[in-house]
Amino acid sequence: MSASFERLIDGIIDALQSHVVPNSGDDFVRGQVFSAIYALNGLKLAADWKAGPLLEQVSLQDDTFAAIRRLANGMAHPEIPATPRIHGDNSDAAAIEALRDDGDRRLGQLLLWASGEGARAADRVAANEIERLLRRAICDQLKIELATTPKSMLQQIAGGDGGAAQG
Amino acid sequence: MQEAAKRSDDLADAAQAPARPAVVNDDAVRSALARHMSRISGGRTEIISFGRKSSGFSWITYAFVARSADGDRKLILRVGPPNGLFAPYTVLPQVYALQALAGTGVPVPALVSFEQDGAEIGFPFFICQHVEGDVPAPWAASGLDPQHKRAIARLFVEILASLHRIDAGTTPFASLQQGEERAELRAIGGWRASLARPTARYYPLLDWGGRWLHDNCPQPPRRTIVHGDYRIGNFIEHEGRITAILDWELTHLGDPHEDLAWALMPTFNARSRKLYGVLERAEVIDLYQGASGIAVSDRSLAFYEAYALYQAAAIQMCAVRAFEVDRFNDMRLAVMASQMPSIVRAFERALEAAA
Repeated sequence: MSASFERLIDGIIDALQSHVVPNSGDDFVRGQVFSAIYALNGLKLAADWKAGPLLEQVSLQDDTFAAIRRLANGMAHPEIPATPRIHGDNSDAAAIEALRDDGDRRLGQLLLWASGEGARAADRVAANEIERLLRRAICDQLKIELATTPKSMLQQIAGGDGGAAQG
Repeated sequence: MQEAAKRSDDLADAAQAPARPAVVNDDAVRSALARHMSRISGGRTEIISFGRKSSGFSWITYAFVARSADGDRKLILRVGPPNGLFAPYTVLPQVYALQALAGTGVPVPALVSFEQDGAEIGFPFFICQHVEGDVPAPWAASGLDPQHKRAIARLFVEILASLHRIDAGTTPFASLQQGEERAELRAIGGWRASLARPTARYYPLLDWGGRWLHDNCPQPPRRTIVHGDYRIGNFIEHEGRITAILDWELTHLGDPHEDLAWALMPTFNARSRKLYGVLERAEVIDLYQGASGIAVSDRSLAFYEAYALYQAAAIQMCAVRAFEVDRFNDMRLAVMASQMPSIVRAFERALEAAA
């Protein structure tokens, strides 16, 4: 998920206040909506993204960095961070997300390097292997995100129709 | 009969464009529209039945009736909001399309008026005639008669071929060619720059894939007008005919394979690899080649299928940015962020196929 947690909550609240409340004359419905807004404000103060999937992504990145360090031995390459990057318990989702994003940038630099002329001239076989490894690892990381993505509701979202949302 | 478009601004004065409101207020737009219509028609014009026609992610579309001494006219107003998906907006590609394609084999609504500087309404806008008919939703298409869908799909391909047969050099589109850079590379560069904006989340496969697309972009068989969003759902259908091709905001000069690949994306065909869920790809290609005179290259089509996913990813990121940074309060934009992992994975597979 790219959206920041607070911004997402603010957006939901605004959608309810700006679009749902003015179009509902039913007191019960309005009471439900205002209760939902109150609960959302509480979530904004007390909650954040789950740390688990982010930790899993950072761990996968660390494994990839370690594998590349071995494969690129002797080649001039972009900096590879020391791993593991997280020591002990860390449940600060924002800090882990920043590490994940930093890891993505480093993986990108390595992928551009491995598929570039310089690395291929230095060791074509190793460069190809690193490129394949990186592409596979980055796709595996995306799988972790997909596991936390709900089923698409494109039809209902685009058309504003359909029944109750399914999980 | 095509109505002559009235251009009421001077593009050379774009640098002196007036300060624009931060958001589009429907009541203010309606009042300004009445003044604008009165001015261009030379008589008092009342705006009735005014309302937002759709809730798109980009240009805002209004339907209205202009009532004057000459009678009622059903018209469409499209406004480029300051915080829309691709803001800041230029109205020119759409205007060029409606001007250049009037009276050709590509049906478009007749242009009535436009302003790039938005002096009267506050935002870039154009007005065109209302076209009767329905806009099919890609995902709702399964309920329609397959024979009807086949006929529409074939018309859809034939119209695309007509578009690509037009000599762009004889149209206002020629002015879109800037400098010596190939138009296809400039388009890729535009999306790469969009993805590289510091506030967008970084996706390594998009960075790497963007470079690959740039380095491996094939030469076009012919540089044509490209619609840029040619798909099921972007036309009006009436009594078995396609009466208007819509949404020309991404139109540009480029490789005709781009439109073909975009139209064939499963996303726009109810998750099917068949066009409109009924027309096999081989049939689409045969029909297109015969009607356009352009030989379809497997390699180019594979390249542009990858490019289509790259562009889709960039558009999703524009949505995320509009929500997160520009504070465009539309929850549908926030939800688009969740589509990124699946699009990026599909892009990686498409690149593998194109390489």
